Amino acid sequence: MKKFLGILFKILGKLLLAAVIFFVATFALYMVNGENKLIYYVVRPLLNKHYDAQARDRRIV
Amino acid sequence: MKAMDKLIAGIDKKLERFDPIWQAEHGVGGQRSRYYDKTGVAKWREWRGVKDTLYDYTQWLNNLSSMVQMVASAPVACLKGFWEYRWMGSYLGTFMFIDRLFEGFRGYELRTAHANMHAIVRSLTKRIALVLSNDKRLGGGPRSDDFIPFDEVLPPLFLTGFKGLIPFPLQTLPEFIICDVDQHIEPYYIDVAESYGLPADVCSRCAAETGVAIDDAFPIIGKAFLTTNMPCNASECTSMIQRRRVALPDFPVTLAMIHNEPGAHPYSTQMLKDAIAFIEKEYGVKYDWNELFKYARLMNEQNTIELEKWDYFKTPYSALVGIAETLYRLYSWASVNGTDPYFNKVDRRVIEIMRRAYEEKYQPFGGKTRHRAFLWGPSAVYYTDFPTWTQNCWGINIVLNMDSTMGHNMIDTEDPDRAIQDLALFSEKATMRHHAVGGWENVNAIWEWAKNFDCDMVLFNDNIACKGMLGVHALMEEQARELGFHFIFIEHDLEDSRTVSRQDMRNCVNNYMSVVLNEKPLDPTIVEFDDSMAY
Repeated sequence: MKKFLGILFKILGKLLLAAVIFFVATFALYMVNGENKLIYYVVRPLLNKHYDAQARDRRIV
Repeated sequence: MKAMDKLIAGIDKKLERFDPIWQAEHGVGGQRSRYYDKTGVAKWREWRGVKDTLYDYTQWLNNLSSMVQMVASAPVACLKGFWEYRWMGSYLGTFMFIDRLFEGFRGYELRTAHANMHAIVRSLTKRIALVLSNDKRLGGGPRSDDFIPFDEVLPPLFLTGFKGLIPFPLQTLPEFIICDVDQHIEPYYIDVAESYGLPADVCSRCAAETGVAIDDAFPIIGKAFLTTNMPCNASECTSMIQRRRVALPDFPVTLAMIHNEPGAHPYSTQMLKDAIAFIEKEYGVKYDWNELFKYARLMNEQNTIELEKWDYFKTPYSALVGIAETLYRLYSWASVNGTDPYFNKVDRRVIEIMRRAYEEKYQPFGGKTRHRAFLWGPSAVYYTDFPTWTQNCWGINIVLNMDSTMGHNMIDTEDPDRAIQDLALFSEKATMRHHAVGGWENVNAIWEWAKNFDCDMVLFNDNIACKGMLGVHALMEEQARELGFHFIFIEHDLEDSRTVSRQDMRNCVNNYMSVVLNEKPLDPTIVEFDDSMAY
């Protein structure tokens, strides 16, 4: 029983630590608007380059 | 809990100088202070106090989770979709879009806003994954032929009687919703249409749809296509061009234009019957009235709750305000239309919040509303957060708008003959049709609506390419004067942000508020600013 509780608390402790790290990392990303800066300044310019270079099948019929 | 409240209050006091509302009140900044010029990119997210910031963060996680689920459910299809379709790339701007929609929201109005928004995000991400994983252009899928592509202005409720088939508004993803998110995407498709000879002074929504068709940017799904004349004759034209490119057997659902005339209703009813017969023939699936009744009950519940919401909108104590109401009603009615029970769940939750807020006499936006406005006419799709700006800058709370008053009659859920007649009436009052077309009394109904909702102001959307509205300018101004309403025409070009920019739209309000009413803005940083390069 003691061993089981020991393992349980170890797992819970690791989960709690993971949750804290997850919260700190995601909250920091959220507050500094990190994902939008990455999308606006890096991802979309690269994608737009690709879209501008596409050959589209443009016709009415 | 008291200790926690004390701690939160202490932190809020220490950090209040980062709150843009506090900054504007104390003349040391405002909403715009945290933005890079032109781009619409914020240096940091809005600080709203501990509780509201943490709540906003959890909703950001909630929406992010929907997007992760979308990619996880169809990773290859989603990647192919991003690579193939320019409009898919624009959906990456969704988080910036949500942030600017709810700037300045706190307390109850922040909660109702996010509840509504998450329903939209959840629905859209599921639809994107579903359509891309069955898009024949990207390799197709097991349900490619189960789709019934139809024109997005046609409410899909009547198609739910086809069990096993997937009614899908073809233009919503590449043309409509994406214009809300990114003001620069539709000008690309409009230019494609105009390069093929389409005049530049037509309705830009129809021009954009035409451009998407010519550019071969619609997903390829289904076995037959339902087009429509709704809401107006510009739609007739774009439907004719789209059907050529979609190249599927098609049926034009031409509902009556002058839908208040006695002869209109039986005609529209017959149109729906003919559309059903067409789908039965093309798909080999028999229409199931019990299946329709199942979804009609959901739509009836949504409309019942909507009518209760209107009672709260008439008071200063509504927890659901501005764009949080407008965008949700437009999407939930025009696109979902009773087909997703999750929206009923959200409606029940939101109405509970509204009842509680009313009992507490809670005033949104810290009670800073100075004017109650009714927004009439089709709104600029490229400036979805316009209602947020009017409240934050000038204290103008848009309590309801024209498209929120779309079909709200109940659908019979027992008798097929009665049900199809109810559906015809319901469908006639679809997006932009209840008021912008259909006869003078529809357009002129604004004054009754504004009076019933205790508004002192009318903001009249003026789509400069809409020939239908051009003729009524002087008439509406004259009536506003006689009836004693503050009245502002908001000029825009629907889906082309180049003709009338967002700042041009803001100037329509700025000029009236400063010159005519001599009022001072609540937040001077957002009176005039450059967001030309923003999504």
